[in-house]
Amino acid sequence: MSIFKIAWRSIQHRGFGSLLTIISMALGVMMVVAVLSIHGVVSQSFKNNNSFGYNVIVGARGGAMQLTMNTVYYLSAPVENIPYEYYLAFCDEETRQLELSHSIAAKALENELNTVAVPPPGFGGPGSFLLNGLTEHTLKATQEDVMEINKPGLYRPYTHIAIPICLGDYYEVPGSDLNFRCVGTKPQFFTELVLDIETQETFSFAEGRCFYEWNLEDPEIGPHECVVGATVARRGGVELGDTVFPTHGNPASLDSHIHETPFTVVGILDATGTPHDRVVFLNMEGFFLMDGHVNAVEDNSVLPTGDDAPSAVAPMFDPDSPIEDLETPTEEDIAARQDAEVERIRRELAESDQESGDEISIERLAALNQERLAIERREVTAVLVRTSLDDKAGVLGMFLPSQINQGDLQTTLDWSSYRPIKAQTASQAVNPVGEVTKLFSLFVDPVQWILLALTVLICIVSALSIVVGIYNSMNQRRHEIAVMRALGASRSKVMSIMFVESIMLACLGGFLGWIAGHGLNAALGPVIEDRTGVPMSFFDFAPAIPLTQYLGELSEFVPEAILAMQVSPELLLIPGLMILAVIVGVYPAFSAYKTDVAGSLGK
Amino acid sequence: MQPDGQLVDILDVPAFNLDAGEAVALIGPSGCGKSTLLHVISGITRPDSGFVKIDGVELTRFSEAVRDRIRADKIGYVFQTFNLLPAFSALENVQLGMTFAKNRASMARAKELLEKVGLGHRMGNKPGAMSVGEQQRVAVARALANKPKLLLADEPTANVDPKNQDQIVKLIRESCADEKIALLMVTHSMKVADQFDRVDKLEEINRVVSEAGAAG
Repeated sequence: MSIFKIAWRSIQHRGFGSLLTIISMALGVMMVVAVLSIHGVVSQSFKNNNSFGYNVIVGARGGAMQLTMNTVYYLSAPVENIPYEYYLAFCDEETRQLELSHSIAAKALENELNTVAVPPPGFGGPGSFLLNGLTEHTLKATQEDVMEINKPGLYRPYTHIAIPICLGDYYEVPGSDLNFRCVGTKPQFFTELVLDIETQETFSFAEGRCFYEWNLEDPEIGPHECVVGATVARRGGVELGDTVFPTHGNPASLDSHIHETPFTVVGILDATGTPHDRVVFLNMEGFFLMDGHVNAVEDNSVLPTGDDAPSAVAPMFDPDSPIEDLETPTEEDIAARQDAEVERIRRELAESDQESGDEISIERLAALNQERLAIERREVTAVLVRTSLDDKAGVLGMFLPSQINQGDLQTTLDWSSYRPIKAQTASQAVNPVGEVTKLFSLFVDPVQWILLALTVLICIVSALSIVVGIYNSMNQRRHEIAVMRALGASRSKVMSIMFVESIMLACLGGFLGWIAGHGLNAALGPVIEDRTGVPMSFFDFAPAIPLTQYLGELSEFVPEAILAMQVSPELLLIPGLMILAVIVGVYPAFSAYKTDVAGSLGK
Repeated sequence: MQPDGQLVDILDVPAFNLDAGEAVALIGPSGCGKSTLLHVISGITRPDSGFVKIDGVELTRFSEAVRDRIRADKIGYVFQTFNLLPAFSALENVQLGMTFAKNRASMARAKELLEKVGLGHRMGNKPGAMSVGEQQRVAVARALANKPKLLLADEPTANVDPKNQDQIVKLIRESCADEKIALLMVTHSMKVADQFDRVDKLEEINRVVSEAGAAG
């Protein structure tokens, strides 16, 4: 009979006591495993997201950490918004031209002017055909404005990519307590932004497609299309073709309400293991058209007002008036605009020798039947900026945050006299990597050490329970040991049996604790995912760490090939438990070693 | 050594000899040192002077670890209180006797012994589920497991009812005779002692004048 069987029989014989000891050990190990793996996976996920597809976040002035948490992790209370024009400061000439043509200023010109006097060079937007009948004064102002429009954005030379995002809405899964953040953005979020700058990993679609910038294919759907992350699809039961109704504001607050505008799911993203998985991405154009997302504006024009003012000057905009008052063109306007647009497109196509111009122009014209929200009425929560990849411009781009933090962006609002009434114009730029690193060094890492210290203490208490368990049974054990000694067992043999028993108890407790710890991970997975956006399952182990981090200065004495290895801290539990078991087994083993056979044997 | 730390002499046996296959009953009043003598003979307790030789091997020359091994190989022990381990079945208790010996006997040997003591049907039972008579028979089987040269029985019938006493003594004697094992049975029962051809009185071979209660 092996000493393992003898030890196991001893454990079995003390069933309840052994069970309590094992449970105690298991609880300790469960805590360690849960803390290690949950913290490890969450940390790893946060750190993975530390390599974003952008390196500057521009948002409203306030807490840099809050802006980062909102933008990177879609966590924390929503921050204030900034004018849409701030996004345009990072755009190229073509984009600005297209975007700024959908402005109140442009519409105001359309309303004011009857004929085109001198179309400014390069201004080919929808407002171009209405530039007739300008007064000399207005014409000059318009030309200046237009020239401003035609320039690249203030920060364009330092910008590689800029993507605006809008937060503040949620998607409540019908019939459940689940809710996911909605993010209004542009299709470039998926097509141009990489998930990780180092790996150049991009978004991919499990099903469907991305929504369009401005739907050119199906005017019936228009801009009300959305793409959902993998978790939203899986946990929210969202499928391609479903419609979702975003909720305005946090569903937990009393003043939230569900928008009446449905968004059609046109794409489901592949899982990325990032917070993006639990987001409903709305087409920003549709997002802007929902109620509560429209800013009332007023005219701050310096043009003469009063009795001597030209009657064509745009009046102050009533914040309560429907936006259609100014933005909905008349049928004649649309017809005229379409004619001009068709002519322009045909001219462009003819110049570039392209064929099938008629087909494209029809698509473009279909899109023109719907109106974008004027850009003065728009706000975004943040602009994600990847600074220029060009070496020289990239270096200059490093100073982008400081320039923005000086307030330079506010100068980009001067082009239009129509401003939102309650506009938040103070902006800030933050470096997300720096903020996340700060978050870790200030909060997460210390918390990790505190948690680990607590769980190690729990383990020590659990280990002591093994000692207490064995100690309490020592009187009975002394007799058994004496019997075994009388049968010929040596002192070292009975000592070994006691050690094996301790190790078995520790390993059993450890194994059950390990299972329970991962079970806890799986059980808490949905909660963790809800709170942090990081998915957790039973099989998520604490991420491997380079051996050098464990060894510290001892690394000098270890071969490089071994140092290159990465080991999950969970694997260290195995030798750790063995050592713990041996330590706690010392007393009973030594006690067994010292047992006086003649005295303990009795008759 | 007494509890107060005082050293007292318990045994002073000039010579005590047991031939191979011989059966001897050792009698004496309680506390005269019978159990202590068995401990010395088995190597559990080392005498202050003199020697114990078993099967030609001078046991007292060796370290404790070697004495343990020699005890496992050459000596079987039957206790008054059986001393079966409660966590183990009858079969496992017999196997436990083999565990520490140099040439471990087989499972077949353990089963054969249990069959021999009439417990073939109780092999899987633990001591708590067995009668005292059955427990003592298991203890006898365990003592015989390693085919010892000497079997020491320390009042094996003291806790057994009269009906079983004869059976136990008979079982031990016959088993030892079958396997030519020398038997030294300590008893204070003359009824038991009368079944042996040779009966030694400890107070006659021990030169220490013992007082009751001096030792076990």
